[in-house]
Amino acid sequence: MSIRIEQLTKLYQGTPVVNDVTLEIHTGEFFVLLGPSGSGKSTLLRALAGLTHVDHGRLSLHGRDVTELPARLRGVGMVFQHYALFRHMTVAENIEFALRVRRMRAADRRRRRQELLQLVALEGYDERYPSQLSGGQQQRVAVARALAHEPAVLLLDEPFGALDARIRVELRDTVRAVQRRLGMTTILVTHDQEEAFSLADRIGIMQMGRLLETGTPENLYRYPATRFVARFLGAANLFLGELSPDGLRLGSAMLPQPSAAPAAAAGTEAVLVVRPEDIEIRAAGAAAPEQAFARGTVRELTFAGHQQHVQVELAQPCEVHAATSVEREGDRTVSVDALRSAAEQAALPLGVGSSVTLGVRRLHALPTPISSFRLVAADAAQADALEANPLLAQLVRSMQARILSRVAGDAGSERLDAGICVLPLAPASAAAISEAIARGARRILCLPALPALPSRMLVHAPDPRRRAPLLALVSSVMRHLPVEATAVSLQSATASRGEVVETQRAMLDTSADLRHAHGLDLRSERFVGGMREWLASLSAQAEPALVVLGLDAAQPALDEALRGELGPLFHPDTRTAVLLAVDPAP
Amino acid sequence: MSRAEDLPVLRRPRRQQILPGFGLTMGYSITYLSLIVLIPLAAAFLTAAKLPLAQWLHVLMAPRVLAAFRLSILASLAAALVNAVFGLLIAWVLTRYEFPGRRLFDALVDLPFALPTAVAGVALTTLYAPNGWLGQLLAPLGIQVAFTPLGVVIALTFIGLPFVVRTVQPVLADLEPDLERAAETLGAGPLLVFRRVIFPALLPALITGSALAFSRALGEYGSVIFIAGNIPLVSEIVPLVIMTKLEQFQYGEAAVVAVGMLLLSFAMMFAVNAAQLALQRRHQARR
Repeated sequence: MSIRIEQLTKLYQGTPVVNDVTLEIHTGEFFVLLGPSGSGKSTLLRALAGLTHVDHGRLSLHGRDVTELPARLRGVGMVFQHYALFRHMTVAENIEFALRVRRMRAADRRRRRQELLQLVALEGYDERYPSQLSGGQQQRVAVARALAHEPAVLLLDEPFGALDARIRVELRDTVRAVQRRLGMTTILVTHDQEEAFSLADRIGIMQMGRLLETGTPENLYRYPATRFVARFLGAANLFLGELSPDGLRLGSAMLPQPSAAPAAAAGTEAVLVVRPEDIEIRAAGAAAPEQAFARGTVRELTFAGHQQHVQVELAQPCEVHAATSVEREGDRTVSVDALRSAAEQAALPLGVGSSVTLGVRRLHALPTPISSFRLVAADAAQADALEANPLLAQLVRSMQARILSRVAGDAGSERLDAGICVLPLAPASAAAISEAIARGARRILCLPALPALPSRMLVHAPDPRRRAPLLALVSSVMRHLPVEATAVSLQSATASRGEVVETQRAMLDTSADLRHAHGLDLRSERFVGGMREWLASLSAQAEPALVVLGLDAAQPALDEALRGELGPLFHPDTRTAVLLAVDPAP
Repeated sequence: MSRAEDLPVLRRPRRQQILPGFGLTMGYSITYLSLIVLIPLAAAFLTAAKLPLAQWLHVLMAPRVLAAFRLSILASLAAALVNAVFGLLIAWVLTRYEFPGRRLFDALVDLPFALPTAVAGVALTTLYAPNGWLGQLLAPLGIQVAFTPLGVVIALTFIGLPFVVRTVQPVLADLEPDLERAAETLGAGPLLVFRRVIFPALLPALITGSALAFSRALGEYGSVIFIAGNIPLVSEIVPLVIMTKLEQFQYGEAAVVAVGMLLLSFAMMFAVNAAQLALQRRHQARR
């Protein structure tokens, strides 16, 4: 293992910019860190180089712990976006800089420099100054300079960002060729998806400081785990479907289960990813495609070289729901993006307004337990307040999820068994929660009246039998909130030694299970006292928190819990938001 | 389509200028420059030219004048060097660190520009006189500042400081932080990073700033005459010699000394510019 990053966290003014990242990179691997700007990818790279201090975690290069080592002793080569060449030195002096620092003999330096210049195809440019070179040539010099001292790893921070398109592709090939030839372990940071695909052996996708997913370009493209990755890597249509043992329901159509679909009970809502090239378009009158799921009208046709981009608006009434946020609620139109090859275009010419039937060639169901949000409020004003809550807004935005419906007043008899049910947290909430559970709600997010984004997330999961679904929920939320999560164990003041061991074990198991199943880390914390005291102490704190609890679905026990030990949650001044996972004891 | 020759030849469109045309602006520039700079300088040369060459040598070779030239040049040089070191330090502190009162500190640097030089001179003299605050601390150590060449250097340092700080500061602020990071990853320690990466990048600005401080010091009058004590052959500067000759109505001789000073300044500026040019050829900081 060439590079090992363990639980790395870097805080900036109290907010994690790199949040609990664990990653291993193999010797000789070309790894690309991909993410939007501000996702923490550059900070992670700089932490590896030793150019920025980290707050938590460990970094090892070739088995050597370098966490505390200054940059100059780490033996890494780094290339920067704006080249960072020394302008008062010639190309030769730039490349030999690291060798002079190491007091290498002039003859050896010259030999090494010749090798490197040959490697980046710049022979004969020794005596030029950086200002006499083009951008592409300067970046070649920067690559040669970074390789001079034979570093253990090569780090490239958006190296092609400042170059124009043609030079960019050319230099990309050079870098790939050099990396292959030297078998150099390399990490490249970029926000360009195409660049990542063309260079990477493996890609890691970052968002809000979290490493969301890692995998080969093909696997990430075909089997993403989150909505963010599905949409960041190329275009994707995201629909809400229903998984059941007999198949998969999308709108009115019943499709066969995709092979990689998560095992699910009947009626489980799931987010389905369909790539535009996997949409099959047939004329409305002709034989329907094999896996037809909707009918619609062509709204837009765009020429894209060898492909044609088709936007289809689905016919009303439409039973297919989009899984991502829509511009206007109440606007029920769903549009589908499709790409057609030249052969398909020839077989069926389309114009704007053509009526078509849509089929799906291949689809993928995301394993996320959070498919959509449903607001349950007494009236429209309360629903608006819920929708404006910063925690919900943050989750909807970063998950790119959708608030599917707003249930207001007594009219709501709609079943709540899919997605996450969102309720206001008020003294009367206990009754509202039991009613929601009676209507089928299994995942309930209760938001306090005082709007605040939680600064930490506390997980209490003492029951091993219900832990797995709870942790799936926890991991999904953790990846989309910039907070640290802590497993909390409760222990009564008079506990016997055996009970203390038992609660400690439950807490450690929670951390271990989350680590194993989802690759995320929890801190741990012990509270001496019962559930009631713990929740009361949280309500008394000014720091807003999100508490995640598992509840037993059995009716009498549930009501007792809501009226008894969960009571402090419903205190009117609380700043604590609660996420409840109600599962039957298996 | 018609061939290119068939198309009418268009007059090249005139680019809209923000200021009125080149002729007008250039004319004004030359007029002002002449009125304010060239004509007075030419007058000095003309007045000096009225004296025969032998008289010229006599005036310039007088021990008192020679001593004044020596003091002016050496003290200005010393002041410029002190400013180069401490101005760089101040510019560094002001750009690289964030601390309470930084903006006030930054504004204070300009004070020597704003203060009437005579005020500075009086203040410095009061401080450094043998019975002044600082002077009385230094006196037991056998160091006398006021009324010695040392006092001249201090006054010239005072008035020259802003030049170095204000020329180095923006260059330092614009210096790409990645340069230092790159040097670090290549194995350079902090000292080496400064010596091989930061200092060479600042050198042109540092030379410019020091040269400005030097030229300013050479011509400084107001702040020096109080602290210098103006003892002939010891602490008398060239501008004072010129003043003295004027007061004695020796206009010709004053002009000769002035012309000597002028030529010296020219030579200095020429040398500095040549050095700058040579440096710039080596590393044009273009991106």
